[in-house]
Amino acid sequence: MTFEDPPPRLARALDLRRALTGRGVWFASIRHHSPACARAVRALIRDVNPAAVLIEGPETYAPLMAALQDPVTRPPVAILGLHRDGDDTHSTLYPLADFSPEWVALREAADLGVPAVFIDAPYDRDGPGDDLARTLQSERYFAHSRTLASLAAREHCRDHDELWEQLFELGTQTAQDLFEQTFVWSSLARLDYEPEVLESDGTLRREATMEARIAQWRAAGPLVVVTGAFHTLALVEALGSDDAETKRRRIQLPPAPDPARPAKDAWLIRYDLTRLDGLRGYGAGIPAPGYYQRTWEAADPSAIVTPCLVDIARAVNAAGTADLISTPEVMAAALQAQRLADLRGHAWPGRVDVLDACSSCFVRGETGAAPAVRDAVAKVFGGTALGVVPDDSPAPPILAEARDQAAKLRFVVTDAARRTVSLDLHRSGTARRRSRFLALMSYLGTGFATKTAGPDFIAGVGLGRLFEEWQYAWTPLVEVALIGLADKGATLAEAATTRLEAAEADAASGRSAGAVGAIVAQAAAVGLDQPLDRLLGKLADLIEQDPSLRSVVAAAARLLGLWQVRDMLELPRPERLLALAGKTLPQIAYLIDGLRATPEEDEDQAVVTLLAVRDLGRQMGADDWQPVRRALARARGDGATSPGVQGALYALAAADGDIGDDDMGAWLQASFGPGADPELTVRRLAGWMRAAPDLLLHTPELFEAVDDAIVGLSPDAFLALLPDLRRCFTWLKPFETAALASRIAESTGLNAEQIATVSNFSAGDLARGVALQRQLTDWLRDDCLESWAEVTHA
Amino acid sequence: MGDDAIRLPAEQQYADEVARLRERDSLTGQTLPPGWRLTPRAVRSFIIGDEKAQVSRKFYGDDALVDRAIVTLLGKQGLMLVGEPGTAKSMLSELLAAAISGNSNLTIQGTAGTTEDNIRYSWNYALLLAEGPTERALVPSPVYQGMRAGQIVRFEEITRAVPEVQDTLVSIMSEKQIMIPEFGSDARVSARPGFNIIATANLRDRGVNEMSAALKRRFNFETVKPIADKAFEIELVQRQLDADLGPRRSEVTVGPDVIDLLVTAFRELRAGATEDGTALKRPETVMSTAEAVNVAFAAAMEARYLGDGKLTPAEIAHQLAGVAMKDSAEDAKRLRFWVDNVVRERARSSANWKQFQAAAKTLWN
Repeated sequence: MTFEDPPPRLARALDLRRALTGRGVWFASIRHHSPACARAVRALIRDVNPAAVLIEGPETYAPLMAALQDPVTRPPVAILGLHRDGDDTHSTLYPLADFSPEWVALREAADLGVPAVFIDAPYDRDGPGDDLARTLQSERYFAHSRTLASLAAREHCRDHDELWEQLFELGTQTAQDLFEQTFVWSSLARLDYEPEVLESDGTLRREATMEARIAQWRAAGPLVVVTGAFHTLALVEALGSDDAETKRRRIQLPPAPDPARPAKDAWLIRYDLTRLDGLRGYGAGIPAPGYYQRTWEAADPSAIVTPCLVDIARAVNAAGTADLISTPEVMAAALQAQRLADLRGHAWPGRVDVLDACSSCFVRGETGAAPAVRDAVAKVFGGTALGVVPDDSPAPPILAEARDQAAKLRFVVTDAARRTVSLDLHRSGTARRRSRFLALMSYLGTGFATKTAGPDFIAGVGLGRLFEEWQYAWTPLVEVALIGLADKGATLAEAATTRLEAAEADAASGRSAGAVGAIVAQAAAVGLDQPLDRLLGKLADLIEQDPSLRSVVAAAARLLGLWQVRDMLELPRPERLLALAGKTLPQIAYLIDGLRATPEEDEDQAVVTLLAVRDLGRQMGADDWQPVRRALARARGDGATSPGVQGALYALAAADGDIGDDDMGAWLQASFGPGADPELTVRRLAGWMRAAPDLLLHTPELFEAVDDAIVGLSPDAFLALLPDLRRCFTWLKPFETAALASRIAESTGLNAEQIATVSNFSAGDLARGVALQRQLTDWLRDDCLESWAEVTHA
Repeated sequence: MGDDAIRLPAEQQYADEVARLRERDSLTGQTLPPGWRLTPRAVRSFIIGDEKAQVSRKFYGDDALVDRAIVTLLGKQGLMLVGEPGTAKSMLSELLAAAISGNSNLTIQGTAGTTEDNIRYSWNYALLLAEGPTERALVPSPVYQGMRAGQIVRFEEITRAVPEVQDTLVSIMSEKQIMIPEFGSDARVSARPGFNIIATANLRDRGVNEMSAALKRRFNFETVKPIADKAFEIELVQRQLDADLGPRRSEVTVGPDVIDLLVTAFRELRAGATEDGTALKRPETVMSTAEAVNVAFAAAMEARYLGDGKLTPAEIAHQLAGVAMKDSAEDAKRLRFWVDNVVRERARSSANWKQFQAAAKTLWN
């Protein structure tokens, strides 16, 4: 990389940098997670043999240095920091891969037996970003630099990452040349930024700290300073002009944290490569960490192209959902990558060349890559490696608890692979304990487990199923999530209780028994006994206050549902569930009276609630149920009850044999007989059909009454009510519809087959036909030829 | 695109640039791939431009795609360019053929009437009757000529030919020869190095789904996408409009804000969403950059000859209506939806959009 005409500030900084090098301060201006920089850092440290290696990283992490340098520790690992700000807790990550220059620096220092020191200011919440775990190595400046964007365009690169690869990863410079070039590269980006921006996001504050620490270490001897290249310009300018004025302005720092004391709110955790991927939104990522891991491990970077392509092809072929990729195609792709590298002047095929080769040779069609190809490329380029931390490295208690419990319950926590377990809840106590643990982890939002099949205790669905199926994976993000929970409670149970309490407060403010019932089910499903006691007490209070029939019925149904699965959940004192469910009945009976005045638009919902009431009744003892039964009968007999609700009540009574033939006959006569308001008739029918559609087939009286009522409608009224009528009959199952049709055909003297023909006319055609027929009838009547019209009817 | 001069093939239009690149190749002493007239790097410079060699940029879009296309043509696979109409697929194929073979005229246009003879060879029947099957009586197809000369052959709109006819290419591309049984059982023409095929396929036509798997395997696919960057598309439309207007450029005033409006309209309708993500009804008609230039040109002509010489959003609205009406009445409704919802909203705060809306109202409402 050459610059004919460097900006004056840069030219001066280059001189200062050379001068500092002469005085024993060697700047390794790195890009985080760059293998080229990592190699160069190694070469530089071996070359310089420094008295200390200073590394950009919060100095509060000093106590973790020993764990980082422990021979057992293997990247990818990360330092997770937890920051409390009043009620608000957020976390930061400082990840390290094998090919991270910081990692290489601290391990090389250990090999040399010289101190490796973090020199950055402790994290302080300023600057943009609001992701769960923000990175301490953000490189957004490069992505947003105008100069780098125009440089990339000039070099025909898609973005600054491709430019970086072309200039540095695929270069053959010596370590010192490389760092001089990265210094220029990043300084160009730096010159695009106003000091105000850097002040407001805390960059300047951090650089002042680093500057002061480097100055303190100057006396020790030669230093290698490993910092993000973006900061080097500022450090060089501040340290290079080592005059009295600069020294006076230099901030006075408190003594560096004592490495021997345990770290506060920071832990060394395992990490995985996938999450280093810049393409997945990780702020400091280099794209394709899996690819760079390979280049880091290989002696000859060009030798990884074919294995990479082979792995992609194998993954695609194993998925079996896309066209198979044959060996000649893999060979063609390897050749393509090599030729692309030649064309672009790369010393060997780089990441973009390999990706472009995949795109050329493995993708056929117009809609882009098949999902299998995309997944395979993502897998190979993303990498799957998971790091190792020493067993004795401290973890927040909640994390340790979760891991111990998971291990005790025989879940695999030694890798991040996704696994499926099937649990026989009915027969095995262990399975039940495992299920509760998974449910607890799932409820806490740790991302550890997802239920894929089995009873849903919370919604009360599928309670008859005996097996549960879960998928789980102990990924580093699970650890991150667990550590994030640390402020919600010291143990898993405490954190879950805090969460339940929050949900309970929300639900209680709405006086909703149904909502609290759902929380009860949640507490039962995750096996939290203490909160369960309190919640049941709360529910008992709420049942009497809740004005919504639907909500009370839902609460009762949940209680019965939990009673039903009491063994699977190993609920303590399950009989209290039944007792509490019994207490809902008077309230239900009371609220049923309120259903009578349901407005038309709510009739549908009211009928659904009635169906739930009836389901409840089937599970309760007959004696307990009496009050509800009486309330239902009252509502049914009340002529003022909304027609839809009334229709449903009669349907349910008829279905359950709660009503005599005479009563039924009278109601049918009144509701469907001549003179009844057609609109109300249809609403009654709608309620009936929603509640018990099949009764229409099995109750001849009803069938006749409805048939007569419909036949008796005037054509205009029929057309007006047709949409509602259609809706009524949609509740029939297809075979019931067929049976009904043949019954109607029979009653009109037709054969069912005759009317069961498929007609290809639209509703519009029908409307036109009906209009035509009517006009014809009118004309015939005008001409006193009504009898002819009769003939056409027949 | 609307130039009134007779159009020259790329190798003649840019003959001086090709000559400069050849000279640079010979100075640097790089070896040419067999059958190629330029090195791959020079081909690339020819297409995406090279300031030092005074070579203009001709294809705007994805540079990496150009790299992949060139490298594909170095190998055994053919190159299939797919994409929406108006994304400059044909231009790219012409530029590649011109740079690699110095000849972009070996072209088959795929239509429903394309036959196997158009791809292999046919006969001059008078001569055939008079002399029997002789070299003289044989009428070579572009593929036949390309094989003999070792040049790139272009197959435009390949998916418009019926799949059975497309499949004629399968044996040609895998064996790189055409048998001529009329000349005897062993008679054949074999491809010389430098021969390859660039096919283009339009996503709005039958698409490549109906193409046989055997043929698909013989091509590397590249999807040419519409221009992603709005500012760049505006610049491109402006530049192309200037070129199209030629000497008449000085007779029309074209404000950048009007071109901005035009490109915004095209981009939104093409994507089926406004810039801030509100969903729109997407017209079926092609809303390519090339079409935007056509609209701009027609609107400029309207301003010049029927207006006061200043291109305003009103003329854009008139011409845009023509584009939308082209395909179907349904498209007109979709456009009206956009005018009624998006443009109306913008018209409140922008004089240009207001003018656009007023002109559109008289057309569609």
